[in-house]
Amino acid sequence: MQLFVEQLINGWALGSLYALFGIGFGLVFSTLGILNAAHGTYASWAAIAGYYAVERFGVPFPVAIAAGVIGGGLLAVVVDQIGFQPLRAKKTGMLGALITSIAFWIILDSLAGFATGQQSLAFPAASYPNQMVVMGPLRVPQMQIITIVALLVCTIGIHLLIQKTRIGAAMRAVGWNEVAAALGGVNARMVILLTAFLAGATSGLAGVLGGISTSNVSFTLGEGLMLKGFAAVVVGGYDDVRGTAIAGICLGIIEVFVAQYISTSFRDGFTYMLLLAFLIARPRGLFGSASFVRA
Amino acid sequence: METFLDLWAAYGSTVTFAMVNALFALSTYAVLSTGVLSFTTVVFAAVGGFLAAQLSGKFGLPLWAAFPAAALGGGFAAAVVAFAFLRLESHWMALASLALVLITRVTALNAPALTGGVNGLIVPVRVEPLELAILLALCTVVFWRLHRSWFGLASRAVREDAAVASTMGISPYRIQFIAFLISGVVGGLGGAALAFTLQFISPETYFIGIAFTMIASTVLGGSFHWLGPIIGAAVFTALPTTMQAIVPQIEDVAKGVVLLLIMIFLPRGLIDPRAWGLKKAAKLREETEAKRAAERDAHA
Amino acid sequence: MRDAGSLLVLDQVVKTFGGVAAVGGLTAHVRQGSVHGLIGPNGAGKTTVINLITGLFHPSAGSIRFNGAKLEAMAPQDIAATGISRTYQNVRLFSGMTALEQVMTGCYLRRGVSLWSSFLGLPAASSAWRSTREQALHLLDRVAMAHRADELAETLSYGEQRRIEIARALGSDPKLLLLDEPTAGMNHSEAEAVGRLVHELRDAGLTILMVEHNMSLVTAFCDSCTVMNFGRLLAEGDPKTCIADPAVQEAYFGRKNDADRIQALR
Ligand SMILES: Nc1ncnc2c1ncn2[C@@H]1O[C@H](COP(=O)(O)OP(=O)(O)OP(=O)(O)O)[C@@H](O)[C@H]1O
Ligand SMILES: [Mg+2]
Repeated sequence: MQLFVEQLINGWALGSLYALFGIGFGLVFSTLGILNAAHGTYASWAAIAGYYAVERFGVPFPVAIAAGVIGGGLLAVVVDQIGFQPLRAKKTGMLGALITSIAFWIILDSLAGFATGQQSLAFPAASYPNQMVVMGPLRVPQMQIITIVALLVCTIGIHLLIQKTRIGAAMRAVGWNEVAAALGGVNARMVILLTAFLAGATSGLAGVLGGISTSNVSFTLGEGLMLKGFAAVVVGGYDDVRGTAIAGICLGIIEVFVAQYISTSFRDGFTYMLLLAFLIARPRGLFGSASFVRA
Repeated sequence: METFLDLWAAYGSTVTFAMVNALFALSTYAVLSTGVLSFTTVVFAAVGGFLAAQLSGKFGLPLWAAFPAAALGGGFAAAVVAFAFLRLESHWMALASLALVLITRVTALNAPALTGGVNGLIVPVRVEPLELAILLALCTVVFWRLHRSWFGLASRAVREDAAVASTMGISPYRIQFIAFLISGVVGGLGGAALAFTLQFISPETYFIGIAFTMIASTVLGGSFHWLGPIIGAAVFTALPTTMQAIVPQIEDVAKGVVLLLIMIFLPRGLIDPRAWGLKKAAKLREETEAKRAAERDAHA
Repeated sequence: MRDAGSLLVLDQVVKTFGGVAAVGGLTAHVRQGSVHGLIGPNGAGKTTVINLITGLFHPSAGSIRFNGAKLEAMAPQDIAATGISRTYQNVRLFSGMTALEQVMTGCYLRRGVSLWSSFLGLPAASSAWRSTREQALHLLDRVAMAHRADELAETLSYGEQRRIEIARALGSDPKLLLLDEPTAGMNHSEAEAVGRLVHELRDAGLTILMVEHNMSLVTAFCDSCTVMNFGRLLAEGDPKTCIADPAVQEAYFGRKNDADRIQALR
């Protein structure tokens, strides 16, 4: 029983990383209509930024997190403004931005390889909360609790932002509307920058947290998150952060349990079988809204 | 002759891979030219590749028989995919097709009896560059005929505005279904061509790498004419080799930058018939204006 | 029974968007061989009615019958095959196609060969293609656009694009032609030309339903009309009588009292 609960929390924390990463991916997809292949590199670079902040400047843990989050957000804004903005007026639809995002993916991944010396780095153990929290019979790593709380805060915050604020309403309105985006009014411009920053920041948060807890700071970090975060977006329905959050958590828990109770080699297979089932049975995801027809 | 052989020794494999990539790009173009962005070419390629590898490895099938089998396999997979996916809205379709690529790899990894699993498969047969060229030429003829037929006209209409096309009696579903079948056949052929070129395949062979290569090739070359994907594949395949020759340290970065620049400055690709039409119109306008000015001068 | 001579019958047609009724129980008849006007102020639901007839939307309730067929559950391409064709309020030509290609696309339904034989380029298919091309050129000629056949449609003027759209709609050789504000953005002589074309087409046996905002053109072009407001029928019958109807005048120009009151406030 104790093992069961500990594994449950373990999976929950892992899934929170996937969800945190997926939220930004889904947000950019539903608001800006961009299938962003470079989204994983934001996580890698955020982890690298956090790592060097600790390594070179010996900053405390919260500052390292902030460095990653802000770094990820700014990187996303730069990529958007260089790679996506010039295409908005040219009506290339989803395709043009997909190609430029692939270009950035190649560039940033390869630069990340240089930045880490083509190896995987690990945060020094003293640089982050690495104690166990004892709750009755349970012993849970502090990092897992931080990750779980981080996802909760981000999901609620972004959901409220989109549903309850004026800028959120504008974000919903811009969704895929190329004309609105191309006109580039104050509102559309703000929406684009904010969405890009939020996506980069959440991806960055997932990157730093994931880099710490998996002791893997390299470009493979982002690629791993990308595959699972993407699954969370598809299962959860890309136009609702709550769906992504729940789907991500479920995927994490399932992954841990399949590895624990069935077989490690089935781990990924199970995730993707679930993905396939959702594609066929409920193609719009958990919370996905019905589509509308243009006429 | 001597220099040709030298060149071939240096760049022969680039040319071979450009031809294989051209098949993948054409497969992507087949659906893209009806307005569907789908990554499932990779799936069709995997089906074609493993089928061809097994048939030639286990049953000793010769090349000329393995290719049609791969085409059939790809086409069949495409029919299934089209049936399941064509009811999805276009953005969703793109995501779903990408997900299917991920699923395919995992499935292939867990079906070692069919695919060799993690160990992969050795492919005992090799395809000669000339044979590959003939295959590509055949496919090109098909796309050329399609382009000049009623299907070509209908697919352009469906791509530009499916709702309007439907009010003219064109069934977008039917056109896109046919496009998927073509994509499946050509993708299956490409998968087999890759297997017979590499002579070793594994589930990792047919993965995201191909997906992005083929989409980038198609869009780079231009997705509004069948020539686009072929040119695009050539450019995109030659790019790493060229970059390695020029800036060996940072070839990947340079490749990304070039892709970025081409996309920003030529978003409709290198081959763009519409741009030619616009240029023609501008020239025509200039001429009539010049004529009018001349007439005015003559009157004055 | 009025249905007897009617080619198109709308019976209690309702279309709601998220609870709001864009069309709220509209009944209308379009007589075979007539030019029928569909008029009403902005947002009255005219375009929605055309979208319902052509199957781009499906009615929330009610039925639409055309020549014996029940259209309400049919897909747009099947409706087109029964002989209905249309133009759009905001010109929707295909980007990247020449004027001739646009009209050829419109001829898709009467291409006379299968996609397969067209792909193979069989002799029969080639000759069918050539004859369709001739027809398309002829249609372009009817809208006085033959001299622009090989130019990209998007490089032409707005009025020219509207004419190409009409030619494209005629490509399928329809029984019923739906025109959504065909003269919008045209000058007077261009609009007159469209009127003449419409009458020619009617005299050749075609039935036409057209949305038109300009009242003098309505009285000049149309044999009968349906006036709608807020998705409902306001008046129907002879164009002159309809337009003179006080309810119609009020819908278009506001209440007479309002005008007086505004005057008084000044
Ligand atoms: N796809 C849609 N979704 C939601 N509402 C719609 C849609 N299409 C039309 N409407 C609404 O239905 C009402 C009728 O619109 P419609 O375009 O049919 O009017 P119209 O009579 O053609 O007006 P106009 O003269 O301006 O063209 C409008 O209030 C419009 O906002
Ligand atoms: Mg209208």
